[in-house]
Amino acid sequence: MAGVTLADVRFWYPATEHPALDGVSLAVSPGDVVAVIGSVGAGASTLLLVAAGLAPRVTGGRLAGIVHTPPAGIVLPTPWTQVSGMAFSVWDEVAFGPANQGVARDEITRRVDRWLGRLEVTHLAARDPATLSGGEMQRVILAGVLAMEPALLLLDEPTAELDPAGAALVWRLVRELARTEQKTILVATSDLDAIPDFATRVVWLEHGRVRAAGPPADVLSRDDIWTEGPGSTTVAGVWRRAGLAAPVPLTVAGAVARLR
Amino acid sequence: MSGRHPFTLLALAAALPALAWTLPAPWGPAGTFAVALMLCLPARVARTALFTAAPFWLFLFLLHDRVTAVTIALRLSTMIASFVWLVAILPPARLVEALVAAGYSVHFAFLFAATLSAVPALRARAQRIVDAQRCRGLATRGGPLNRLRALRALALPLVLSALHEVDERALALETRGLSAGARRTPLAPPPDSAAERVVRWALVAGCVAGVVGRVLWRV
Repeated sequence: MAGVTLADVRFWYPATEHPALDGVSLAVSPGDVVAVIGSVGAGASTLLLVAAGLAPRVTGGRLAGIVHTPPAGIVLPTPWTQVSGMAFSVWDEVAFGPANQGVARDEITRRVDRWLGRLEVTHLAARDPATLSGGEMQRVILAGVLAMEPALLLLDEPTAELDPAGAALVWRLVRELARTEQKTILVATSDLDAIPDFATRVVWLEHGRVRAAGPPADVLSRDDIWTEGPGSTTVAGVWRRAGLAAPVPLTVAGAVARLR
Repeated sequence: MSGRHPFTLLALAAALPALAWTLPAPWGPAGTFAVALMLCLPARVARTALFTAAPFWLFLFLLHDRVTAVTIALRLSTMIASFVWLVAILPPARLVEALVAAGYSVHFAFLFAATLSAVPALRARAQRIVDAQRCRGLATRGGPLNRLRALRALALPLVLSALHEVDERALALETRGLSAGARRTPLAPPPDSAAERVVRWALVAGCVAGVVGRVLWRV
């Protein structure tokens, strides 16, 4: 299974002079989960579109640099725009992708049942997709993309519509997919508290450039991520405000261990 | 009717306007319009068809003499009623399944189905926009002036949001494998019977006969 290689990637949206990505280099191996963070407009979503092969092919614009990615599945931040609009039921909606890939019907059935179960939405199988709530829709779209069995999974704010339990389920799934199925996963997220639980690395983007990259403990404990970046985890914030000594813990468990 | 094969429904919706334009007026178009309207009744879209056709009647009577106006209006009304009936009775997903099962490319199938789904999709979007504007205090009910103001406030967001969604929809369908290049697997191909195939061919033959008859009659 191949990983992702981006070398000195620059990307300009149509009719813009400033690149949305400016010299981004990144290598992600199978089994790695990379969390892409940054302030609004930093280029995280664009990075995922480039890795998915959608930019510039579908979005238009101009791309420079080297992009090597395996077949990718991407979950966009607005699930209601990712619905096919051509399915009677949630089951058909999840089957939409593998059917387009020409997968055999028996295999489609196996995959759809599997991913509906993993995302805990089997009970919605007969529902009309148009009647789903935002959170249900987000799980269904994620199931639909996973049913296509991409080697590279790109998730753009995959928990934006989910309640805390739903978000925890997705992050657990992301971790399992990387560990057990060796998927290569890139996640653009503003759920910074969850990052230490699922990510093996963090890439902090700023104005389309990589400002810092490394393990979550290194990137999210930096001082400048508070002043010039998107911030860090709640625990790191409390630790910092309390004026406690470095290294900064990112999770409650880490803080408890440090205090003991 | 909704249980019939999508191609049969398509054939009927195409044959009625074809016959309306080829059969001698006024009884030919009157007959096809009556049939189209009868199809609309159980689908509960007869009123929609009549309301959609009404402005054409008005303008045709302003522009033409009575006989010509009635003839053209009946033909246009047959087209409108047939299309409204087809949109109401044929879910695009079933049409896609039928086209894919018949060996057509998935892109062609979606192009066809998207045309059918455009009307209800735009209507639902317009309703959402009206609801959102009501929340912000826009009065959409009342006299003609109020309604005109509401229409103005609806038109621009409707068109702009529809154009914006084209980009999102393209991205979304790409992400769901629509450009995979492989032949799509039909999930539930609609059953087709010999009797329905006969009906379809009979409709085609009827249309051809109508064209031939029209040519001969003109000669």
